[in-house]
Amino acid sequence: MNRNVSRIFAALFGILAIALPLFAGDYPLQVARNIMLYMALAITWDMLLRSGQISFGIAGLFGVGAYAAILGVIRAGMPAWFSIIFAAIFSGVVAFAIGFLILRLRAMYFSIVTLALGEIFRIIIHNLHDFTGGPEGVVMQQGVIFGGSAGKLYWLTLAGLAVAIAASYWFEKSKIHFALTAIRNNEISAKSSGVNIFRWLLLAFVVTSAIQGLLGGIFVQSYGFATPDTVFSADFTLLPLAMALLGGVYSTRGPIFGAILLGLVSEWLKLKIPYGHLVVYGIIIIIVILFMPQGLKQLVRQPANKTDRRSA
Amino acid sequence: MSKLKTENLTRRFLGLVAVNNVSFSMEEGEILGIIGPNGAGKTTFINLISGIIMPSEGLIEYKGQDITYIPAHERARMGIARTYQLIHPLENLTLIENVMVGSIFAKGNGLKEARRRAEALCQELGLTGLDRDTSRLTILEIKKMEIARALANEPEVLFLDEVMAGLNADETKDIIAMVQKIAQERHLAVGVVEHVMGVIRELTHRVIVLEAGELIAEGKYEDVSKNPRVIEAYLGGGAA
Repeated sequence: MNRNVSRIFAALFGILAIALPLFAGDYPLQVARNIMLYMALAITWDMLLRSGQISFGIAGLFGVGAYAAILGVIRAGMPAWFSIIFAAIFSGVVAFAIGFLILRLRAMYFSIVTLALGEIFRIIIHNLHDFTGGPEGVVMQQGVIFGGSAGKLYWLTLAGLAVAIAASYWFEKSKIHFALTAIRNNEISAKSSGVNIFRWLLLAFVVTSAIQGLLGGIFVQSYGFATPDTVFSADFTLLPLAMALLGGVYSTRGPIFGAILLGLVSEWLKLKIPYGHLVVYGIIIIIVILFMPQGLKQLVRQPANKTDRRSA
Repeated sequence: MSKLKTENLTRRFLGLVAVNNVSFSMEEGEILGIIGPNGAGKTTFINLISGIIMPSEGLIEYKGQDITYIPAHERARMGIARTYQLIHPLENLTLIENVMVGSIFAKGNGLKEARRRAEALCQELGLTGLDRDTSRLTILEIKKMEIARALANEPEVLFLDEVMAGLNADETKDIIAMVQKIAQERHLAVGVVEHVMGVIRELTHRVIVLEAGELIAEGKYEDVSKNPRVIEAYLGGGAA
């Protein structure tokens, strides 16, 4: 696609996204909010993936942020807006601490540990009954932010998405892009070019985790309650992952496309075949991964003209 | 003072002693050949000096400073660069971006400055089509890119691990001339691992010979190649 054309499309889409609450009803706004939330998570997952590290811990850091926000309000009397920022900081600090331990791990070992971490957070919150409300969760007595106004909650989520997109572009356009790509390609040769691998991995892990925490804070402020099973739901890991894979990884655009498509399709299927929609959803993912390993991005971009090294 | 020296450098892998008690030094402007039969420990020796692996015993000194246990990325910043026997182009970056990496991280340049320097470097080495994907480069271009990537660190010491492997005679000549020019203009100390003895003879001022991890001879190629121990190491091992 021509660069200018795609820019115009992006601008139009951005205006539409901002203006949506002016004409759309509560139901489409609710759907759009969900899609934007998963889209933002998909982008953060992809950002870390650019270093070659596959995280299954999205729900973990998301849930930690969600609880940080709601407990910040209930136990510490934070204002609603500040609790969201606190959620980001808290998840970032948690990621910084555990990053020191787990960023020495690679490939499958890193993935499994991030998966286990999410579960550990959930169990801790489950069991700190007096502070966290245990399995029944906690409810914000003073009600949700903005009095639950659908339009304002939509804009709040949109702002969360904007943070994720901005961070993703920052990763793409700065030296972080070079660091993460070099690390993903070959750590040994990255070291020989002066790349401090651990430092860049830690940066990527902390930034993406902080944004996941921020989104958790936004989520919990939108619904006014948190239970371990809702905020640590595997959906928050699996759906973003599927969206990014569907749209195409290592880019900002891929997860955005993937989230729009998968989000809309799953919503539509939910109406058409209640309870059956997840089956269709799963089949779509399998087909795409089998036949379009680079995701839908492949359709937009020119197919790579790979030639044999010796032939040129 | 030597640019780089090792004292009693040793690295053991379980029972195997890959590098055994090697002491050597390199001077500014010198091109040093590192030769020996397969499995002699040449690549392990370079890995130790560049910090990819750490020694079991011994000392590495760079410009008088003890760097024995300094991590690889910091050595790259201090001015020790290398290429790899198994080429590792960064496949998701273009040719020019590959070269920029060293400038960004080893020299701390911003992206614009790094691009400018990488372009100058590529021009110097005769690389064109800088925005190509690395999958579209010829083997010669890849080898040049690997050298450019190492030079992007703006090193004082450079190790080339079999850069000529896989090149034909003309291409080899091309690279030899290039390495000589680079070394002279930048006052580099260059360490060259190579199997083709013609290359070693033409390119190097001095050679060291490793066999089973030990340094068994050192001197000018003409003298070393007559050394009975060296001849035995090559022929006796069945390598010839």
